[in-house]
Amino acid sequence: MGSALLFEERFAERDRGDPMAAVDRELVRAIGRGNEEAFRGLFRRYAPSAMAVALRVVGQPYLAEEAVQEGFLALWRNPSAYEEMRGSVKAWLMATVHNRAVDLVRREETQRRRAEDAQPDEDVVTLEDPADKVVDEIGLPEERKAVRAALEDLPPEQRQVIELMYFDGLSQTRVAERLSLPLGTVKSRTLLGMRKLRAALSGIER
Amino acid sequence: MMTRDHSAIEELLSVEVLGGLDDRDREALYREMAEHGLECAECHRLQGEYREVAGRLAFALEPAPVREGLEEETVQLARTQGEAVRTRPVRGGRAGMWLARGRHRRASILRPVVAAAAAVVLFFAGWAARDLITGGGPSFDFANARVVTFQGETGNLAVAYRPGQTGAYVFGSNLQAPPSDRVYEVWMFQDGTPVRGACFRPEPGGTLLTYLDANLETSQQMAVTVESPSCPSAPTTQPILTADLT
Repeated sequence: MGSALLFEERFAERDRGDPMAAVDRELVRAIGRGNEEAFRGLFRRYAPSAMAVALRVVGQPYLAEEAVQEGFLALWRNPSAYEEMRGSVKAWLMATVHNRAVDLVRREETQRRRAEDAQPDEDVVTLEDPADKVVDEIGLPEERKAVRAALEDLPPEQRQVIELMYFDGLSQTRVAERLSLPLGTVKSRTLLGMRKLRAALSGIER
Repeated sequence: MMTRDHSAIEELLSVEVLGGLDDRDREALYREMAEHGLECAECHRLQGEYREVAGRLAFALEPAPVREGLEEETVQLARTQGEAVRTRPVRGGRAGMWLARGRHRRASILRPVVAAAAAVVLFFAGWAARDLITGGGPSFDFANARVVTFQGETGNLAVAYRPGQTGAYVFGSNLQAPPSDRVYEVWMFQDGTPVRGACFRPEPGGTLLTYLDANLETSQQMAVTVESPSCPSAPTTQPILTADLT
């Protein structure tokens, strides 16, 4: 119980740097009461980010829209699936959409092959495209800056395996094949990289 | 107090949250976490922190334009689904294809859960599994169990069983609820013939933990369908979740 409390306190501590985190949680509570406007509010705030990650993973706009819709509808159907003490709403939503996108791309083998052919091995994170600039919501530009900085601080070989899994939807086995590395090397690089990200992102204000 | 080694769990979790685990590795993660049990605070901490990191990685990307109308379509879908309909519609076309092949077998008994399997629900559903444990129930050597995950879009479902022995636990998380007038029914396929397993509805929040009084060694596949509460002896709809036991 003590550990659970500490865990909760840790998230509360992080929230102090992000007033929108509390707003997000309140919106989820309102969704639990069937409030459609609250649902729209979260959608407007996070759909562009969700679309970005879904599109990156699945490579096709219609599939990306499906992943985004499924992610948000999962929250509408079952808002209690989000637990406040386990993290932020925005991370939960993005993780849900990402999971849906990975599921879609794993089923769509041809889509995955197409995505792999289209994506370079390096510099996987797509930077800003002025032609498609989307106005970001309050607080999110700072979040993007922090997450990118944390990624860029990783040794390239660790960043590469993490990006191939997360942004390209590859399994660790496929990453090993693609980079001609032993699976154990992929595992260890992922773990080391994720430890560093965890340390970096837990120390920033959100 | 003895400290348990979490290195294997941490290594698997760090990949799981990125979507990088294959089914076999995911089953290994289930097993490892189940062995640590319900009250493993370090497991909770690791899972929560790595999930948070993975969720936030999405913000490394520039936001993408959202098609005009997608918000409205999503809201319309939400309205359509409402509270009562929380499952994806079963795709039609070949519904009933199994009808003629059904073979009755006594329905499995819904029994209280064992802690080890409940731990999996706790970890992967983010639920207080202690609420699900009502005591009793058959013991289960989870460390030596084979865990097979189902494939499908309705949520996470897995079955744990000991090869050669009777008894299995089906556990799930983030399961969409079936329509209010329907239940899920799990089937075992023996040489292509569906054999009735159990009917169930997920707990509020989408968790499930149910005992299956069957020996799965003679089954090659499992499936879940949406059925009437009468729990028919043969499936009447297309499967929404499937698992390969071979």
